Amino acid sequence: MAVIRTEKICKVYNPDTIPVHALKDVSIQVEKGEFTSLVGPSGSGKTTLLNMLGALDMPSSGKSFIGDVEVTKLSDKERINFRLHNIGFVFQHYNLIPVFTARENVSFIMMLQGVAQKELLERADELLESVGLGDRKDARPHELSGGQQQRVAVARALASKPRFILADEPTANLDTKAAMNLLDIMEKMNEEQKVTFVFSTHDQRVIKRARRVVTLVDGAVHSDKTTTPDNTVKE
Amino acid sequence: MKILLKIAWRNIWRNKGRSAALLTAIVIGLWAGVVTVGLMTGLLDQRIDNLIDSEIAHLQAHHPEFREEHRPEMVLPDVTKLTTWLDEHQSVRSYTARSIVEGMFQSPVKTSGVRIMGVDPERERNTTTFHENLVSGDYVDADIRNPVILGLELAEEHNIEIGNRIVLTFEQLDGELASAAFNVSGFFRSGSTHYDRGNVIVHIKDIQELLSEKPVFHEIAVVLHDIEEAESVVMAINEQFDGLVAQTWDQLSPELGTIVLLGSFMLFIVTMIIMIALAFGILNTMLMALFERIREIGMLISIGMSRIRVFFMIVLEAVMLTITGAAVGMLFAWGTITLLNREGVDLALFAGGIEEIGWPTVIYPAITLGEFFSITVVVITMTLLATLYPAYKAFRVNPMEVEKDT
Repeated sequence: MAVIRTEKICKVYNPDTIPVHALKDVSIQVEKGEFTSLVGPSGSGKTTLLNMLGALDMPSSGKSFIGDVEVTKLSDKERINFRLHNIGFVFQHYNLIPVFTARENVSFIMMLQGVAQKELLERADELLESVGLGDRKDARPHELSGGQQQRVAVARALASKPRFILADEPTANLDTKAAMNLLDIMEKMNEEQKVTFVFSTHDQRVIKRARRVVTLVDGAVHSDKTTTPDNTVKE
Repeated sequence: MKILLKIAWRNIWRNKGRSAALLTAIVIGLWAGVVTVGLMTGLLDQRIDNLIDSEIAHLQAHHPEFREEHRPEMVLPDVTKLTTWLDEHQSVRSYTARSIVEGMFQSPVKTSGVRIMGVDPERERNTTTFHENLVSGDYVDADIRNPVILGLELAEEHNIEIGNRIVLTFEQLDGELASAAFNVSGFFRSGSTHYDRGNVIVHIKDIQELLSEKPVFHEIAVVLHDIEEAESVVMAINEQFDGLVAQTWDQLSPELGTIVLLGSFMLFIVTMIIMIALAFGILNTMLMALFERIREIGMLISIGMSRIRVFFMIVLEAVMLTITGAAVGMLFAWGTITLLNREGVDLALFAGGIEEIGWPTVIYPAITLGEFFSITVVVITMTLLATLYPAYKAFRVNPMEVEKDT
């Protein structure tokens, strides 16, 4: 079963005044273990689609499924709880909690889930080790570089053991070295732990590493290319 | 809950300057509230206590028309029966009988109209604190013939010194005029210059000898063990004795009751102004803090923090700040009240005129534990109410705010 599936979703902003059609009949499916990029020019609808996939926003029409749950039918409260247990988020601006240390930032989501203190601390430490920040776990966000903060954000996204991770322009604010380092970590997790990643990006460094690239133009899927392990491209 | 406490506490200190400003507002709000209440309560209590303790006592009995007519013949009937009843009543702590006439005060300088009050110095001492108003010389039990004590103002007006002789003229019970020379034994200052200009005190036996052949009394002032019992004792006296009227202290001085009521109302208004200013300060600060963190709150809701938790996180921040501020404010306020209560607040520089109408110029602020905690509860409640709107705004944040550029 697909991890994410959308059926002809449309999103119209300002339907009663000046309608803006952000998404037009978008139907895509993301399987477990994919490393997918949503690409397209500014205003093409990639962030809007990412918000739909992450149950942050609701489509004007169409259906969206995560596993076998139709998220478009969930209430706001149910969607928040659903996100907590099923989706990991990595944001462009890192968005760590500034008053928490790296370890507390990673632990926080597990605290919300009600994970026992001992277990969550062990897992937070493991995750920080896995993103190469084992020695910076007591640092607060302002004491970390942009790349380090984004790695903490990845660790946080993984902490809740989500079905998949959505990353909105994760490398947009990083220099090349930090971006490549972050991509290495995410790629390794994808390959070794079969963690599903979906990015929205126009960063060529990410697009080159993605094994599936879905291109959006004017709110519609323009192309959907998958690179197989032997580097052949399928459309 | 633990996680909310943790994040709320840390959030408070992320902007130390703003939190310090808010804390200061709470501390000042509470301090100002308590000190204002303390000053006002002290002022009113002193005014009431002064009047009750020094002259009015808890209740008085007179001839039914004496307080309006002030005629010398309007004497209390059968005083022995009343004093025996008072001696036997368990609620009565002490009483004093007085003879009071309106008369003329003559000195070599001029003549003034005065009220002449004849008191039994021993009983008066046991019943009132008027003797404490004596600022120089001796009381009316001085070992001289016909002693009289005067208010300082009257003495200054007449250029009189202790030992001088003055003449008091007044109407006797039979309507004839009586004049007698009295020797000034001392000066008093009651706290009301108006009173000090218009009253002289003499020994009761001296005036009674002049008033009529037998002793007469115009007033009996009674002090009870508990002022709250004044009304029931007054009712009992009025039921059992004919030809006299007993009245409680607030009936005797109705303006005092009005002043207390007005004072309480003013106090309420001032306290509410302070509290509303405090609430708006908190509302403004919390809203600013919220708008700065809107993306962060969007992130919290995005990753799965429930809206109700977000709401309580904001409320908890205010609660923690308020409790911290309230604790410091209470400490400061208690310290201030204790210090001022010991030293007194001298208003003479700002309001010397209030002494003219009997108000104290040195106020000893006082506050009951109940009032103290009521103000604290009001401050905490106002803070929480002021936080509800920012907390509701946080509750309503769209998770997609997380993606917005600052």
